[in-house]
Amino acid sequence: MSAPLVRAEDLVIAYGSHIAVDTSSFSIPAGTVTAIIGPNGSGKSTLLHAIGGIQAISGGTLEVLGDTPANAWKRTTYVMQTVAVTPGTPITVREVVGMGRFPSTGWFRPFSREDRARVDRAMAQLEIADLAMRHLSELSGGQRQRVYVAQGIAQNHEAVLLDEPLTGLDITSARTIDRIIHTERTKGHSVILTTHDLDEARAADQAILMAGRVLAAGPPNEVLTRRNLETAYGLGSLHEPNTDFIDDPHAPKRE
Amino acid sequence: MEWFLEPFALGFQQRALLGGLIAGVMASVVGVWLVLRGMSFFGDAFVHGVLPGIAAAVVFDFSPYLGAAVAAVVMVAGIEYVHRTTTLKEDTGIGLLFVGMLALGVVIISKTDSYTGSLTSILFGDALGVTRRDLVSQGVIAVLVIIGSLLLYRPLLVLSFSPQKAQALGMRPKLVHALLLVLIAAAVIGSFRSVGTMLLFGLLVGPPATAALISRTVPRMIVYSIAIASVSVWVGLLLSYHLGTAGSATMALVPIVAFFAVLTTTRFRGELRRRAVRGTPSHDGLSLAAVLDPLREGRP
Repeated sequence: MSAPLVRAEDLVIAYGSHIAVDTSSFSIPAGTVTAIIGPNGSGKSTLLHAIGGIQAISGGTLEVLGDTPANAWKRTTYVMQTVAVTPGTPITVREVVGMGRFPSTGWFRPFSREDRARVDRAMAQLEIADLAMRHLSELSGGQRQRVYVAQGIAQNHEAVLLDEPLTGLDITSARTIDRIIHTERTKGHSVILTTHDLDEARAADQAILMAGRVLAAGPPNEVLTRRNLETAYGLGSLHEPNTDFIDDPHAPKRE
Repeated sequence: MEWFLEPFALGFQQRALLGGLIAGVMASVVGVWLVLRGMSFFGDAFVHGVLPGIAAAVVFDFSPYLGAAVAAVVMVAGIEYVHRTTTLKEDTGIGLLFVGMLALGVVIISKTDSYTGSLTSILFGDALGVTRRDLVSQGVIAVLVIIGSLLLYRPLLVLSFSPQKAQALGMRPKLVHALLLVLIAAAVIGSFRSVGTMLLFGLLVGPPATAALISRTVPRMIVYSIAIASVSVWVGLLLSYHLGTAGSATMALVPIVAFFAVLTTTRFRGELRRRAVRGTPSHDGLSLAAVLDPLREGRP
């Protein structure tokens, strides 16, 4: 039996004295789409960063694909939420996507034919091939997000970690990224994404509900119960009955 | 023709030019990353932060390279200490160390008999007093800095894009940042004798910032920056010779003037292009858009 994608035992993640994710234990099976949902500042991105090996853990254990996050980073690819790129930074879309090959090429090895093919394929999948020579500052928010996803899938990986990949996107970009998520799953890869959208979380195979710690993890119908959501978001915070966004994704973040 | 050649007829003048050119190349390959990473203020502070080390070397008669290196380490350690142990933003630490180190340098150098002369030569160098030995040391350091920059190209590119992504891609951003500081320190230490700390800062920021206005890729930005720095050094020395002004200070002024000249030109061209897109000017001087817009809105 293959190792779970993520296995956490008494996991604690802190920034100095501030505990972002308190004692949590959960497991995510490999080959699934998992949505991490919770209010702003609930530790969603922090948990994703820890799984991606970007954020060190402060206590307990965290295994990713049967290894420590620090060792598993070459098998996971992290797609960041937003990147503050100075307008006018002379980096083209093709160069940004090409960065996804750096874990394979290292600091020095020139790009091989395979590397270039992977970059071309990723850009084609995200429908940004015609933007190859543009700068990020010349793109819309949705196009930019597609560039970051292309960068992510150009990297060798078994799991894709996406930080709020669909928040605030135009419909074309949202559909394209949604299609990529399903393609990844079809290939047998695992996908973990953070979201504010309850429908998005309900459509996933697994859900993790956060509120300063992992409140519940498992199939969405068992995790996203009214009782759990009220505990996570505070009593009375849910709007009846067709609530999609249960938190304002554009509100200032504490995490 | 003589106007261009006469200032470089003598050996010391040629050495001044060569020292400036080496400094320009070295500052460009490092300065590009300084500008792309938004570290210009840090660069300014860092360049002047080595002052007490050089001043102590002058007063106590030891290697100014060693003095500058020690001061650079103290400067970075101080900034990191403030940043890590307080909730203040990094620029506060940079500002504190900038003023502190600069003041300490002046205090130390004020103990010498030739206070003004020593301070001026550190800040503005002694372009016309560059020796062959100075050039050899500067050349060796320049080769090392260029090799280091080439080796670090990929990690520095990702770091400029996003430190978080650099971490996710295994590019070791903290190590790369530290190595960039070493390269900056090497550029400062290698060049302060010939061009002074003030010009070096001008060359670290001026040519890369100018190149950023006209480049679409980082390699091009580096090439343009080297070209702009080289022309700045040459023009600066020419002007200084003919106008009788201070060599290093004149060289420091040229890239800054060049930046604003290029900025104004690119903005002007951009505005012309925008107007061309909006509408072709009609015969009476009004653009087509200016005529059509009120009509579309139902106004006469």
